[in-house]
Amino acid sequence: MFKLDRKLIITASTAAALAVITAGCMGGGTTAGSTEVNGTPTVDGGMVYPVQDNKTGPYYVNTNTLKGGYTNGRVPNANELAAWDMDVMPDGTGLPEGSGSVEDGEELYEAQCVSCHGDFGSGGGGYPSLSKGNAVDMQKTLTNNRWKDPEADGPVRVFGSYWPQVSTLWWYIRDGMPHPKSKTLSDDEVYAITAYILNINEFEIDGEEVDDEYVLDREKFLKIKMPNVDGFEPNIDGPDALQRVRAYYANPTNFGALNLNKGAERCMTNCQKDTVKIRRIQNGGIKDFLPPMDSTRSLPKEEAALDVKSVYADNCAMCHGNGVGPGFGASAEWAAYSAKGMDKVYANGINGTDGGMPPKGGSTLSDADFKSVVDYLINGH
Amino acid sequence: MDNKESNQEIDRRDFFRKAAAMSVTAIAGTSLVSSNARADDPAIMHHVPWGQNWGDPVTKNRYGMPSKYEHNVLRRNTKLLASGNYRASIAVTPIQESMGIITPNGLFFSRSHGGVAHVDPAEYRLMIHGLVEKPIVLTLEQLKRYPSVTRTHFIECPANGGQEWRGPQFNSIQFAKGFMSSAEWTGVYLKTILEDLGLKPEAQWMLAEGSDNSEMGRTIPIDKVLDDAMIVWGQNGEALRPEQGYPVRILLPGWEGNLMVKWLKRLEFASEPWYCKEETSKYTALKPTGKAIQHFYANEVNSTVTSPSPEIDWKDLKDGDLVEIQGLAWSGMGTITGVDFSLDGGNNYVEARLKGLVLPKSWTRWSYMHTYKKGEKLLLTSRAMDDAGYIQPTIDQEVGVMGVESVYHRNAVETWEVTATGEVNHVQIRS
Repeated sequence: MFKLDRKLIITASTAAALAVITAGCMGGGTTAGSTEVNGTPTVDGGMVYPVQDNKTGPYYVNTNTLKGGYTNGRVPNANELAAWDMDVMPDGTGLPEGSGSVEDGEELYEAQCVSCHGDFGSGGGGYPSLSKGNAVDMQKTLTNNRWKDPEADGPVRVFGSYWPQVSTLWWYIRDGMPHPKSKTLSDDEVYAITAYILNINEFEIDGEEVDDEYVLDREKFLKIKMPNVDGFEPNIDGPDALQRVRAYYANPTNFGALNLNKGAERCMTNCQKDTVKIRRIQNGGIKDFLPPMDSTRSLPKEEAALDVKSVYADNCAMCHGNGVGPGFGASAEWAAYSAKGMDKVYANGINGTDGGMPPKGGSTLSDADFKSVVDYLINGH
Repeated sequence: MDNKESNQEIDRRDFFRKAAAMSVTAIAGTSLVSSNARADDPAIMHHVPWGQNWGDPVTKNRYGMPSKYEHNVLRRNTKLLASGNYRASIAVTPIQESMGIITPNGLFFSRSHGGVAHVDPAEYRLMIHGLVEKPIVLTLEQLKRYPSVTRTHFIECPANGGQEWRGPQFNSIQFAKGFMSSAEWTGVYLKTILEDLGLKPEAQWMLAEGSDNSEMGRTIPIDKVLDDAMIVWGQNGEALRPEQGYPVRILLPGWEGNLMVKWLKRLEFASEPWYCKEETSKYTALKPTGKAIQHFYANEVNSTVTSPSPEIDWKDLKDGDLVEIQGLAWSGMGTITGVDFSLDGGNNYVEARLKGLVLPKSWTRWSYMHTYKKGEKLLLTSRAMDDAGYIQPTIDQEVGVMGVESVYHRNAVETWEVTATGEVNHVQIRS
């Protein structure tokens, strides 16, 4: 149905054509479907249920609604298109001119990224690592698998060792970072942070090491070769991409699936080898569930009072407890701020600052509750 | 395993015969014995406060809430999956409490990559452009004027069960299987909109992009766009919840949840794919060959026993109690055609019964009647099949191809162990 449907849309054909096409597509009952469309496998290996006899699967369809003729909306103008069409593709489409140095990138990183991604991109606080060392070396760990030896090292899947395209990094930093206040970096700043991340992954560009003096620009960026560029299947590039994807998912052994129509067997009795064992949860498993697991039906307890300690631990300690910003109970460090008046200190906390303080530390507390947390942070009790 | 016998049809004549026999027993024995054997039940013997006092006026709770006694039925999270102060994180659905094939909107699992955005519908715009003859921008009102369709589909995070490739970790169905939920969605087929825009022949891919803090984006192949992809604004009869992308998300029946971009702002068509952050850095399945599957679309056929579960066990059952074992089966590749059920961890199977509506790419309920013997030890395993021909593999079969590092798309059969005391534990059966 795909090819014909597409042609239909492109040529804006008539309802009569639709009827012929859908009838010719599958035939059979109203719930019929197929994993092939006109002899071509479906793109995900699964079923397509065409609209026929005014039904798709068990659902009735008003096929008159599918013929087109709607005039909703309007054409966006060039400025509107440019404002939203900001994506960056591997061939450089959408990547603006600009430049940034590793040195500037490191400074930006220390100010805006380190609190989540850790020193030299080591990760932390649940956020991803950005580097585990030399990208080319780390790429070789991708064949590590802990099935036979649970104690072995696992594969390293960080930007340098795993990602196939560097355009992804630039695009995501510009649109999604820094996480508490995204879309605030200039293009040059994005180039600088990208340069720093290439540096800590020990990249070379066009034979030149991305060292501490390196300055990245658009031209150099487009020469970056990712070590794991060929590490993914199916291949989705080029004009034949979808044919390859369809062929890939037509073969269940590619993705660890079993298909009874394609030779898998369904065993009903004595299915297991003598060697099977019951594997139980080790060491109690993971059970730090929030809120704790409880299936009783009872009246809820009174709402607990604000726990400033746990708010501090969850939202503040990652910076204020790690030398970023004035510290917990450090009255000397706070004096410079409180000298301008506590109202200003509270306002900075509530609204956030350019220095990297997220509004309310990323919490969702009321202003009054948040002030109590600020008092706790400054006084240390 | 007398499945045939316990599942036998009860016709009307049987019912009257059995009812008569029961009532004789009740009068002659059970009720008298039990009333002599223990004190009267105060829940029966006393007036209850809600039976004597006025209840709330209908003017209270203009938007209704669950009973306050249900306060433990909640989405839950764990620090293992807590990235970014719970902004790039997940809260999972209490599958143990789910009924039928619909998840209430307040319990639908919540996954975001930059927090839950709160979009002002007055400022909502959807732009469709790229390889189309006529690009358009729509307001929310204009979008909702397209003719609508309503479909019941689950949405599943492909990491559902993905923490347990190397062994069971969660003694909980909420965390072992709750990275999914199901709803009745209302919106418009994307093909209906595209009919008038004129897709250019070289268009192979569509970028779907969200307006949230992470500008969440994914590349979708044109096959799905022109098959059953929908732009949805309705969830179980009301507007989408903010956690589900209010006011508009894309719905790709059966496919990975992260592809169904929320807070949707832009659709662009192109001849080459985009390589968005969440389509290679994450949501790719690394195989022992060192190659990773990218663009891994459909969630494969899967199933689980929902009752009993580690959360709601069988400790209260008496010897001889007839109990329904029930569960869910689902496939992102088609319609469930059957579920096999095993009491011995998958060594021997019988066919369970499907129940309720059986819809494409939808949760499907299944059921098996069991007479409980006090002290018996069981290993409850289910195995589902779909109309595309797929069947769930054993853990050994799946790991044999995928290894244990692939994180996503784990759909091997799962087992609950029932201990002699009626406790229920998550175990895995493997070589």
